[in-house]
Amino acid sequence: MTMNRSLLASALALLLGVGVVSVVSSGTVLSLFTQAIVYAVFALGIGVLLKQNGMVSFGHALYFGSAGYLLGILLQLQVASAETIIVWTLLIITVVGFVFGLIIVRVPGVAFGMLTLAIGQMFYLTASRARGFTGGADGMNIDWPSTLFGFPVSQILKPGAMFLICWTTLVVVMFLVAWLLRSRFGAITEAVRDNEERARFIGISTLLPRALVYALSALITSISGVLSALNTGFVSPENLHWSLSGMTLMMVVVGGFKVLWGPALGAVVYFIFKDILGDYASHWMTIFGVVLIAVIVFSPTGIAGALMSWISGKPAADQPTARGH
Amino acid sequence: MTDYVLQAEDVAIHYGGVKAVDGVALTLEKGQIRGLIGPNGAGKSTVIDAITGRRKLTRGRVVLRGEDVSEMGVVERRMRGLSRSFQRTSIFGQMLVGKQVELASHKMGVQDSYADAKAVLEELDLWPLANVEAQELGYGEQRRLDLALALVGRPSVLLLDEPMAGLSVKESLDLAQHLKRLTSSWDVSVLLVEHDMDVVFGISDVVTVFELGRVISSGEPAVVRADPRVREAYLGSAA
Repeated sequence: MTMNRSLLASALALLLGVGVVSVVSSGTVLSLFTQAIVYAVFALGIGVLLKQNGMVSFGHALYFGSAGYLLGILLQLQVASAETIIVWTLLIITVVGFVFGLIIVRVPGVAFGMLTLAIGQMFYLTASRARGFTGGADGMNIDWPSTLFGFPVSQILKPGAMFLICWTTLVVVMFLVAWLLRSRFGAITEAVRDNEERARFIGISTLLPRALVYALSALITSISGVLSALNTGFVSPENLHWSLSGMTLMMVVVGGFKVLWGPALGAVVYFIFKDILGDYASHWMTIFGVVLIAVIVFSPTGIAGALMSWISGKPAADQPTARGH
Repeated sequence: MTDYVLQAEDVAIHYGGVKAVDGVALTLEKGQIRGLIGPNGAGKSTVIDAITGRRKLTRGRVVLRGEDVSEMGVVERRMRGLSRSFQRTSIFGQMLVGKQVELASHKMGVQDSYADAKAVLEELDLWPLANVEAQELGYGEQRRLDLALALVGRPSVLLLDEPMAGLSVKESLDLAQHLKRLTSSWDVSVLLVEHDMDVVFGISDVVTVFELGRVISSGEPAVVRADPRVREAYLGSAA
């Protein structure tokens, strides 16, 4: 997709968001949509890592939960304005993600996944036990000020406004990521993912691009963490738990990661299943598990991949493989 | 005095007590093709690795256009015009053909990387496939793409490690013609490791024969083909 088409698609998507708010009057439905979109941003973070680095992370909840905790603690300490604290939070997590990335992206395949899991769980346990700072297993409330970016928080937290904020964030982040990946940086990361040795031979540093993609994915995930903290006003150790990373990874697999909107689509599908099936079956995850298996077997490129091949009339190409060499 | 583009002098690669390559001397003149043949395990690919800097020399030196590059890394040598292809096809499978060649050209510091990539792809009849994902190409086309990645930035020396492996007879002949043309039109000197004797003896200006990490014969193709040591060690009665 060219940038002009991406721009047009983004503009249409933003209009669609406004249309949804105009048409849907139920606060419950809008809240459900908002929750799905927060996880769509989270899934996009994991999807970018998988798409550009071919790496599977089981520990990205680290960046989702840490964003909430960092926000909560800094707001409690009142070290700066809430707007500044949001920017600091995103910057700190990006830098931490980059530093972690420099160390862990050197590790290939399954070992990388296990390392992300271990680091994520380390932070989960720390947050669970540091009662003084984090509220321990009970979690902590986020003390938002009365206004944010000049708007009253009470207005921002209304379902329609919250939906629009999250939707706009998703669309803008997706557009910016698409723009970034179309640049030389995107080509370099694809080259490193596809053939590390050849990439080295044509003069590409293979560590830095992978670490930068990891940091980018941490940044995107932390944005979803900030949105979640704004939406719920609460953060708990569950936001750092590996099962959350696993759940989001499932969304990515179901949606597909060869196109950027695949993970977001997976998140929407997941929440539709959760809310529709959840009304009829307490073990709805079993049914979702069957869907997951069906997608993996019949459309390894996910729902988005199947849609793309259906639209183009060409069979779905193989997805980038996870680094296992 | 002959002006060599590449000189490998007394090159040795030892692994403990195993002498994979021992005291090899090779030269390449401008626009020359030197065929490098020998049985499997003779040390041909190791010599390419040694010259390109992929393996550290135990002894000897590599001189590229008068400059000693023995202590330089792979990328530094590549930037100075010493390029190679790999024994196994080494391309970027999920990238578009044009995009990856253009990227390689850009990384080589070429100002107009698009024009350079286009010229290389046209030379190898790949330009019509510029917008196709590399993994969708046929094997012969992938081998040519591999060669294209090695040719960006107009290297002065090209080391090719079995570029015809797995190709049909027609594809091999096509690639051989491309190589021959490149040496004259692009002034590229080629060190060609290849098992297809028809190709090697057909396009090489000189042929060097390896056995157990050492050169056992070197010279014009007809002379090498007639060398009794070569016939005994490698070519056998079929030659």
